[in-house]
Amino acid sequence: MANNHLTGIGSESKQLATWYLTVAAILFGAQLLFGLVAAIQYVMPGFLFEILDFSIARMLHINALVVWMVFAMFGSVYWLLPDETGIETIGIKVGKLLFWVFTAAIVVVVLVFLFVQVGPADETTIWFITEGREYIEAPRWADIGIVVVVLGFVFNLYATGMKGNRSGIVTVIMADMLAFAGIYLAGMFFTDNITVDQYWWWWVIHLWVEATWEVYVGALAAYGLITMIGAHRKVVEMWLWIEVAMLFGSGILGMGHHYFWIGTPEYWWEIGALFSALEPLPLVAMFIHVLYDWGKTQGAQEALGKKTSVINNKPAFTWFVLNAFGNFLGAGVWGFFHTMPQVNLYTHGTQFTSAHGHLAFFGAYATILIGMMYLAVQGTNGIKVLRSTKTSIWAVSMIAGGVLGMTVALTLAGYVQVLVSRAQMGATWAGYFDGQSGMWFSQAMDWRLLMGFVTFLGFLLLAKDLLTTGKNPVHER
Amino acid sequence: MTNKSVWSDSRFWQRSASWVTGFAAILLIWLTFDTSAQISMGTDSDLQNGVTKRVPGPTVINYKITYEMSTKRGHEVPVIGEKEKFFGRDDYSEEEAGELLHLGKLGSQAKNCMDCHTLLGNGGYYAPDLTKAWLDPAWGPEGSLQAMTGKNTKEEAMAEFLQHPSQYPTHARMMPNLGITAKEAKGLVAFLKHLSSIDTNGFPRNFGKIQGAIHGK
Amino acid sequence: MFEPMVDVVPSFFAWLNQGPLTLTIFLHTVIILPMIWIYKQEKKRLENEK
Repeated sequence: MANNHLTGIGSESKQLATWYLTVAAILFGAQLLFGLVAAIQYVMPGFLFEILDFSIARMLHINALVVWMVFAMFGSVYWLLPDETGIETIGIKVGKLLFWVFTAAIVVVVLVFLFVQVGPADETTIWFITEGREYIEAPRWADIGIVVVVLGFVFNLYATGMKGNRSGIVTVIMADMLAFAGIYLAGMFFTDNITVDQYWWWWVIHLWVEATWEVYVGALAAYGLITMIGAHRKVVEMWLWIEVAMLFGSGILGMGHHYFWIGTPEYWWEIGALFSALEPLPLVAMFIHVLYDWGKTQGAQEALGKKTSVINNKPAFTWFVLNAFGNFLGAGVWGFFHTMPQVNLYTHGTQFTSAHGHLAFFGAYATILIGMMYLAVQGTNGIKVLRSTKTSIWAVSMIAGGVLGMTVALTLAGYVQVLVSRAQMGATWAGYFDGQSGMWFSQAMDWRLLMGFVTFLGFLLLAKDLLTTGKNPVHER
Repeated sequence: MTNKSVWSDSRFWQRSASWVTGFAAILLIWLTFDTSAQISMGTDSDLQNGVTKRVPGPTVINYKITYEMSTKRGHEVPVIGEKEKFFGRDDYSEEEAGELLHLGKLGSQAKNCMDCHTLLGNGGYYAPDLTKAWLDPAWGPEGSLQAMTGKNTKEEAMAEFLQHPSQYPTHARMMPNLGITAKEAKGLVAFLKHLSSIDTNGFPRNFGKIQGAIHGK
Repeated sequence: MFEPMVDVVPSFFAWLNQGPLTLTIFLHTVIILPMIWIYKQEKKRLENEK
């Protein structure tokens, strides 16, 4: 049990972290709400037709997802930076100012998405309404704003990392965040050539979620193991370097699996297939690593005759373990399902991708970032051991169960789409709707909606727990 | 006591991680140069001289496009054939065709097409894939979609649909009215025709070859 | 074993792409092999530290 960095009181960096994490949690709620709208539209196509169409609901769903994760990632860095470096974050005033700029920009973008929705086919739309490129629809003015904010964040990180104690975890985050910021620039231009467009678009999307974000999660897990169960830093950091080697080694060229069908040359079949087939390996490694360290520290404590748990933050650790498993299952297994070109020829652009997307984003990122929210609750309230509550257990069970249920439903829908629309009907307009009208497909969509509601209820419980558990007397102070 | 193993040494893994990451990144950049050269848009003279480009020039709208099995490559590829009228003309200059394509590509983004449809298989899964939409038999002379709009050519039918989508429902799930003007619709159809001419390594498989095998159709 | 190139445009990578696996096995080997050198260097360093 072991650490001296529990308290967040008095650290401006940690205060800023709580701001970022709070906005992240609100955006998470918004993501789920718009997801529900889109899910209802699959079941009842007339719902909000020509008021808040599927395209807009889905756009808000996936953009809120990306933005809340970026917010939570920034927040988590501001949270762990003083612990790791031993000093207050440098330039924190700038960091706080940029937080308000970022939040204000996001609000404006969301309002424009909601109420303006689409624009005429000219450059003004691209600059001020939407860029219309999945996941990064934010108009160009916002792109430039985001770059400024991210540069400020990277400055905070680098200045602090170079002045304070630069641990292995901080080193990895520094390198990773620079790549994370730089890659965004690849998604900011317009071209008439859609193949070139998608080529670079994947540089942002893939190199974020299958490379830099994964490495970031590795670093967060390392930090969590040290703070929550007192794992040995040397062991944890060695694992972290192994994970970096495996994640970047497979993930960077694994990008090839997005270049099978967009007009790019045939050699990407091979590069994409084999490198991305290795992508689950580091995720297995992370899973083993988390559970192994847990067992090891617990065993060491029991050898000393102490029967108590080594975990000083039960809900956060639950989410971290769920991350280790969910990352492997959602990103690893569900990704591997359809990463071979022979399979992907039929699954590309079907609900299969959607199933993978849901479980992977949840398993790999949402889980660990929610865990960080619990660490912040513990820190800001000066709690020594944060226990699970009934609400926290219900929240995690309903959210995890709901997302898993949605994933299974979407996977089944994907099967129908692959078999009927693609294999049997050859992917035409008529073939598409034949697949969509099948009983298996429509029932799967009913289940997806139901599971979406379960997830949303779980979110409400999570919000309640995050807001109230800090004052709950059950915790050890 | 034996020496500490290199395998449990943090520095070994740190250096390995740097090497692997750096080399993979350099390979990716090299591959990007190689690929960029292959996916740059072709020109009008390429089309006239029969030079095959993965992404043909915009004047491909002057030609008939089909999707045929290539025995050499083991999958279907777009084949650019003889001249074909597009909105009554088959002599669009490189500049005119380029402008149409530019308008259409901008339109595809300004209207958030990719949040319901997939283009090259990427986007939303709420509506049909548009990669080879131009080649869909339903838009052709005998096709149900063309008949539904009451137009006589594929391009006019598609343009009509795009301007008034909710007048022509094809399913309970309809396309909403996105305020697409006649000019924008023309650009979007040019964009879709050009899209269908891109060599996608055989995606989607068997497109339009099977005229219905289920539901007794 | 070696088949005529089926890629549309000849290039270095297309040339390495001689059927299943040739290209990736080559790339993986190039990535892994230098780690042997790093290993030997680190082993020497650890021995000198003793």
